[in-house]
Amino acid sequence: MNNDDLTIPSPARPGPILSFRNVVKRRSDGLREVVVLDGVSLEVAAGEFVGVHGARRSGKSTLLQLAAGLELPDDGVVVSAGCDVGAASAVDRARLLRGSVGLVSADHWHVRPRATVVDYLVLSLGADGVTATQAKRRAYGALDEVGMAGIALESSGSLPAVDRVKLMLACALVREPRLLLIDEPAVIPSLSGRDRFMALVREAAKDRNMAVVVASEELAAVQGASVFVSLSGGRLRSSDRQGVVVNFPSLQRAAGESAGA
Amino acid sequence: MAASATDTRRWMQGASSPLRGALLGLVLDQPGRGGELASRLARGLGEQWRLNPTDVYRLLTRLVSEGLLCTEQQEAPGTARGVRVVYHPTERTSEALTRWLETVVPREPARSTLHAKLLAARGTRDFRLLIRSLEMHEDECLALARLVPPMAASPGSWRSLLLDCVRNGAWLQLQAEIEWAQQTRQRIQELADGE
Repeated sequence: MNNDDLTIPSPARPGPILSFRNVVKRRSDGLREVVVLDGVSLEVAAGEFVGVHGARRSGKSTLLQLAAGLELPDDGVVVSAGCDVGAASAVDRARLLRGSVGLVSADHWHVRPRATVVDYLVLSLGADGVTATQAKRRAYGALDEVGMAGIALESSGSLPAVDRVKLMLACALVREPRLLLIDEPAVIPSLSGRDRFMALVREAAKDRNMAVVVASEELAAVQGASVFVSLSGGRLRSSDRQGVVVNFPSLQRAAGESAGA
Repeated sequence: MAASATDTRRWMQGASSPLRGALLGLVLDQPGRGGELASRLARGLGEQWRLNPTDVYRLLTRLVSEGLLCTEQQEAPGTARGVRVVYHPTERTSEALTRWLETVVPREPARSTLHAKLLAARGTRDFRLLIRSLEMHEDECLALARLVPPMAASPGSWRSLLLDCVRNGAWLQLQAEIEWAQQTRQRIQELADGE
């Protein structure tokens, strides 16, 4: 697939679905306070695919959890699918992951050893006010999209890693999110399995004009991104020097100065 | 048959020897015009290779003069010259490709200007310049990552699999460079903060 397939040309760029403005996030490691994100600014619009590369404990997961409304910024503003994460109520933040935002993360795998694959998906839809029949129909549709309809009746508890991640992708896609967040596709052990998974993600994003942010410690695991950013020492750097997608404070200042000149 | 020392030396002459072998492989797979072959090379090796089409034409001419490729003139009405040149393999091409595959891969010199800058920098006075150079290098690697095509979801053939392996090599090389730049920046910054 051409990388540009997922890129929205900057002049016609719609408003961002995800926006970080000077976001700071601190954590304590027991002895001292660590700044995980240090003034991070980032914008992602519909149809854009941002690949975040960073070493372990570089803040990738924190970035995605802020975008999913699971964490609150200590400073700065995170707006995800129209929700100001820092200002919204807990209920409104919880709604994010039940609608506009999908999160695929090994940390969010629920152990349901007795649930079949399709039941796992139906259970994830359980609180959405849909009938059992509707839930099952939607679940099969999502399983078909990720190529798992053939194992719908197998136990979810015995799935290999690659199928677990695909099932989590189906759980995210079944809600038709506007923003898909994927934390560490490199948990899929085989390179070919990872490549197939990322091809699924790219296809799903293209069909829906969905924004995607994928974070991994392996650069190849975020292949196909239209923009690459790296996270190190709490700071983001970007492949996009024009600041079209990722706007650094310095670039924003420079743009403002040139516009005002 | 193992490559003789003379063959090896001949193949290793010049920085463009990787393209010589790659061109023989491409023409054996499917004959083509110079521009087509250059495009196939660029697609296969990736834009991060920064292939110069002039090098391809120069090498094609040389391979023809060495009898490893031959040309066919085809009529091409409407083009400036009225003909197009198509490159075909000769009876020696396949054996030459085998010999090239047998040769020891020469190690490219690991000459990084950044390494030299680190060596030459004057500590406290220059650490900001070093950090800026490392940041720019990281940005360049991230920009190059956009040029590496994604790997095939299901490489169903030898050619597709080997192409994926080339791309995987490019990804890992870029990742290593990014991580080195990040670690070096961090170490320099930590020392500067401590002073």
